[in-house]
Amino acid sequence: MPSWSSFQPFIPIGVALGGVYALSSVGMVVLYRATGVLNLAYGAVGAMGAMISWSLINNAGVPSGWAYLVAVVFGGVSTLLYGVIFGPALAARDPLVKAVGTLGFALILLGLMTVLWSNSNITRSITFPTDNSGFNIGAIPVEWTQVIAFAFGLVMAIGATVFLRFTKIGTAMRALADDREITATLGVPVRRVEAAAWFGSGILAGVSGLLLADLDTLDPSTLTFLVIFTVSAALIARLRSITLAFVAAIVIGVVDNMITPINSITDYRDMTPFVLAIVALLSFSRGRQYSFARGGIR
Amino acid sequence: MEASGVVTRAGLSLRSSRVDVIQGGVAVLAVLFALFALPQLLSLFWIDTSTVTVIYSIAALGVGLLVGRVGMISLGQVAVLALGAWVSAKLLLSTTLPYPIVLLASGVMTMVMGTLIGLPALRVSGLYLALVTLMLAGAITVVLTVTNFPNGGSGFLGYNDNYPGTIRRPSIATSDPAFFRYSVIVAVLMFALVLWHLRSKPGRAWVAIRQSETAALTAGVNVTVYKMWAFALTSFITGVAGGLLGASQGKLYTFQFPTQNSVILFAVVLMGGIYTMWGAVIAAVLLWVIPALFTIWGIDSQVPTILFGVGVLQVVTTAPAGIAHQFPRDMLKLGKLIYRLLRRPATTASSS
Amino acid sequence: MRKHFGWRVRIPVALLVVAVGLTIATSSFGKAARHTATAAAALKCGLGTGKPATGKPIVLGAIATDQTGTSFTDIPNMANAYFKCVNANGGIYGHPIQYKILTDQTVPSAVAADANQLINTDHVVGIVGNTDIIDCAVNGATYAKDGYFLIDAGIAAQCYASPWSATVNMGPRYSGDGAAQTAILHGAKTIVIDQSNVPGYQGNAAGIQLIAAAHHVKVISLSANAASLNGETEAERIVQAAGSNGAADLIFTPPVAQKILQGAQTLHLENKVIWTCATPCNTDSLASSLGPAWNHKLFVNAEMNDVHDDRGADTQLYLSVLKNYGSAVSGGIGSFSQFGFTVGQLAVKALLSIKSHVYTKATVNAAIENLRGFKTDFLCRPWYYGHAAVHLPNNTDYTVWPQNGTMRIVPGSGCLQISSFDPEVGQIRAIEKAQGL
Repeated sequence: MPSWSSFQPFIPIGVALGGVYALSSVGMVVLYRATGVLNLAYGAVGAMGAMISWSLINNAGVPSGWAYLVAVVFGGVSTLLYGVIFGPALAARDPLVKAVGTLGFALILLGLMTVLWSNSNITRSITFPTDNSGFNIGAIPVEWTQVIAFAFGLVMAIGATVFLRFTKIGTAMRALADDREITATLGVPVRRVEAAAWFGSGILAGVSGLLLADLDTLDPSTLTFLVIFTVSAALIARLRSITLAFVAAIVIGVVDNMITPINSITDYRDMTPFVLAIVALLSFSRGRQYSFARGGIR
Repeated sequence: MEASGVVTRAGLSLRSSRVDVIQGGVAVLAVLFALFALPQLLSLFWIDTSTVTVIYSIAALGVGLLVGRVGMISLGQVAVLALGAWVSAKLLLSTTLPYPIVLLASGVMTMVMGTLIGLPALRVSGLYLALVTLMLAGAITVVLTVTNFPNGGSGFLGYNDNYPGTIRRPSIATSDPAFFRYSVIVAVLMFALVLWHLRSKPGRAWVAIRQSETAALTAGVNVTVYKMWAFALTSFITGVAGGLLGASQGKLYTFQFPTQNSVILFAVVLMGGIYTMWGAVIAAVLLWVIPALFTIWGIDSQVPTILFGVGVLQVVTTAPAGIAHQFPRDMLKLGKLIYRLLRRPATTASSS
Repeated sequence: MRKHFGWRVRIPVALLVVAVGLTIATSSFGKAARHTATAAAALKCGLGTGKPATGKPIVLGAIATDQTGTSFTDIPNMANAYFKCVNANGGIYGHPIQYKILTDQTVPSAVAADANQLINTDHVVGIVGNTDIIDCAVNGATYAKDGYFLIDAGIAAQCYASPWSATVNMGPRYSGDGAAQTAILHGAKTIVIDQSNVPGYQGNAAGIQLIAAAHHVKVISLSANAASLNGETEAERIVQAAGSNGAADLIFTPPVAQKILQGAQTLHLENKVIWTCATPCNTDSLASSLGPAWNHKLFVNAEMNDVHDDRGADTQLYLSVLKNYGSAVSGGIGSFSQFGFTVGQLAVKALLSIKSHVYTKATVNAAIENLRGFKTDFLCRPWYYGHAAVHLPNNTDYTVWPQNGTMRIVPGSGCLQISSFDPEVGQIRAIEKAQGL
């Protein structure tokens, strides 16, 4: 077993990545609660936003601040468009069907990205000015981007909790999660509330895409499938609890990275999100058939 | 809301005996054509492409069986295929067992592994089951990336960097056209096995489960057993397909089984159609023949991914029974339309 | 219950289909448009007549890996650029070269199908410019059986240990050797090799182990999943393994190497170890994305020369061909396009050497196998094919480092002989001596 000091440098890396996973999974949980849709295109949307802003910076000479804004807006708008077009059509369907639909959306975006940015000989990256400045906690170097990533995750988790509890639209979202039909009959503008959820979670997808492009890598398929980390955290939170989603995301990020110096299992560390999510899922369902549907066994 | 099935059921009404006879006839003709005419007509490029298409049609059949007949979504079937390929490569390289025995053994081993891994997953249903299988596929891929596929090396893993051996083919089918024919025959057997299941007790139980698990339970169907049965049958035929895959290529590489391919396989199966066995064939054609065409034409081979995404959205919104169901109807409509236009050129054909 | 959804769904779906159709149309149209080269000033390619070749085409073929994250199409695309220049300059005594490039996504059945397409359907007379992760392993038997002698840019070990393949590059193993030698020259006591966990790559460490042992240097071999690794994590992992007086020997494609090096920069690890890298890092796009922080801090074993400093005739021609015919070469200046250019030159040299002017599979492949003494600015030593069981004609090369956005030859480094402590290099040197190559 390596010494504690060899684990230390991996902590801020893991916490920062965990922060971004948290940001995403909070967006994912909020959307699920409001619309019943588990958005598997979350990673693809963020990836596309990041790729677009890379092109704007490197091919069109757009100042990076504006390019990042475009990425975030793209996340919001494309997610909203998907929600407005396919949301109503699938509203009455099983959560599974809704998730499968987003899988189609993800494949379209992934295919588009590989066609539009087909040249993988170019090294692409997104770097923030905060990447190479930072401070030390003891002997551990911490960069400001890592702090920002974690802070974003934390602020969003708290923000979403407050939003759902204390704002009118948040209350409407919670009501929708409990019962669509009754909420609609009570005069809540269902479509508008849903649109807000789609747009908001899309914005978060755009922000996460940019942060992951910086902290991890700017590669369409890697970013698209990083959604698995997010889904894992959201699943551990049973697609309901924002606090649990936040904690799970941080744990996944930290465990995945802290395993690195342990030579015997380091090659298997990519299994972290799978293993944690599977264990969590199966432990929820102990002794009964868990189902999303109201009113028992399906 | 429907039960856990992806889409509302359709096409069951087609099960009249006349349709059966027509379908059977077409199937027999198609198999005869594939066995005798295709190897004569096609270049080696297309024979190789057809072989992998036939092999993947078995895997697609498994996905279609789970989704369409039992209402369970597995997003991890390419990982199961990889398991079958691993077992068969191991057996073919380190034993002298006859090839059909190896195919059977890899089917059985994959069935055991698939069922053991899948057993806990069966406790969850719907969206959770889909996600658990996706996660399992991801985990299997990570393990296979570390272990690699056997290539004639020593030890249990049978992998050696420097001396990659070639996975043997059956002695009666060493050439590419012969192996294509061999694969067609194995595929026919697998399709027949599934058909036999569908037409007997398990098939009726699956129909009941898909309609409503509660109703099935009340009717005395042992839901867990029949779900597991479907999982086992799927794992078996997918394992056999894996056995064909290794021998057809001679080499196996982890990166031909990325997790995303499980998702794409599921997408093409939805597009092909999950309620008839033809859908599996269409799915495999979408998955292999279309990209091969694009390669020959010099078009970006990633373009099909976009089409598969569009296809999935199309299926979940408007055409739940997929191409296998939709295409003949569309053709029939088109035929009627043309007929009407020809018969009465003056009148506008307004209905469709 | 079967619901029909009206315009609300159908129209968007129709729109999507149209959008996709347009994408396909534009992408294929774009490719077609790119193939028509701009009218170039007379370049001395091949015969250099300045007149387009109009005779019966000579058909050559290539297979290249083209998948997300790993694309080697620049090599055949650059060879094709050179062929176009040759075709505009009299071709091969009036015969234009027609070049079929097939791609694959590392699927064995597809790679085998590609070879069958080239050989049995397109009836190519020669196969040159192949750069594929699994082609040599999957199709080797086919090439040997059908009598093809490939000029390729190799990756897998079979591309080197075969009578039917000679490469213009030296590939990950020997380039990794060279990077390790540079690390040893600069005083490394421990070398950490980090490479992709792609099958076949692990063998790359074997040569470095022997070279390092001969110099009493310790070797630690790591591998990582190139698609999913995190740059900072990987950099920290390497530096921890290397300890003090250590070196890193990275064997990755440029985007992955970039992730690790940028991760190292973020954690301020640039000076903790001696960073070295195998050939793929020799590309200006990596140098420019790394920025000045990495100036003179990364030694790259380059296999080919640096076109900024060396202005010989081949380099000049390479730059002009790239500019005038190389619109499909996406990576621009770098090792990959230099490989492709050299492949093109070698193929044309072989074709022009056929005295009978009859271009069949037999004559073309005999001419290829007879190639020797080919001098180019790009290589330290003349390139040869030769009749041998193993081939590594490129076994002495340059070392470059980043300098303000470009890769430049390390001053005073000269040509580095890959060490014969790697037994396969020793075997090659013996063959060279025996055959006078």
